[in-house]
Amino acid sequence: MRAWLSLASFLGGIVLLTSACATSEEWSEWRGHTTHFASGTHGMFSMRNNKDGSNPRVARTDVDAARAENWWGKAITVSPEQIFQN
Amino acid sequence: MPRYVLAVRGGLLAALLLFSPLVNGMTSAAHAAAPADALMPIEKYTTEKAKSLANTHRLRLLEFSEQIYNCMPWLFVYPGRLGFPREKENGGDDRYLSTWIWVDQREDPVFAKLPQERRASAMFSRYGVDMLRRMAALSDVVDDSDVAGLSVVVSWLKPGTTRPGQKAVNETLALFVDKATAADFLAKRVAAEEFVSRARFNLFDGETLVGRVPLQVWEDSFNSTYKLSNYDPPKGAQCQ
Repeated sequence: MRAWLSLASFLGGIVLLTSACATSEEWSEWRGHTTHFASGTHGMFSMRNNKDGSNPRVARTDVDAARAENWWGKAITVSPEQIFQN
Repeated sequence: MPRYVLAVRGGLLAALLLFSPLVNGMTSAAHAAAPADALMPIEKYTTEKAKSLANTHRLRLLEFSEQIYNCMPWLFVYPGRLGFPREKENGGDDRYLSTWIWVDQREDPVFAKLPQERRASAMFSRYGVDMLRRMAALSDVVDDSDVAGLSVVVSWLKPGTTRPGQKAVNETLALFVDKATAADFLAKRVAAEEFVSRARFNLFDGETLVGRVPLQVWEDSFNSTYKLSNYDPPKGAQCQ
């Protein structure tokens, strides 16, 4: 009985670990040069590049415009005064 | 449809076509000012030492800001956060060449599964170290005897906080290190563990101080090698 309980806890632990944390395979994928990670901007590039298949060029001003329309600047962030003194 | 309505519509369309390049040009001009906006305004510094540093190295910092702006559009330097601040806890007037960047990235399920300190390690390894390297390359600035060290602050969206109806939260790692340690680490004369032990850093979850977390630093060439597909840097930009 005790052996069964130990085996069950061991297997349960493995399931918990693999579901709650990134597996080493996923982790190595992330550490590789994944294109989905640093996308340039949220959704804009994938939208421009993939939907119509025409792959239009993207300029720096497009990035600014997309960011201006998005929420990046509204995220709750530590204030500079918590880090620096001028 | 009455003829005059068509005429009015035609006139409006013509006006739009005529003025849209002007409007676009104005928008572009506003965005083109962004690299300069990254520099901390001189009047905000509170000591003569800092003002002098900001004056002396303004052009180099502007070039540095332009390079990030033009060549790494997935990064954003917070307005006024490129300059020579001092560390909050430091009672003296030690000035650090400092850059605060925000990393633009989408929600990523693998990244989201990482514990918070692992996310901080990953973001610092990927972006923070490269920023340190780029700042250290500004030798005329770093060699200034009034510069005590380097500082890099990296912010990114905390996974899971971008869902509709939620307030997005940034996680932020702020690090300060003396010049000699930074140089030795970048030249591989000091191991990552020693670099971490000598550096002073804090992690913030939104506005909440998490504190000094077990930071791991590893090699990650992403930021120096990544090329955004279909992206055209502005004309004249020197991207390396």
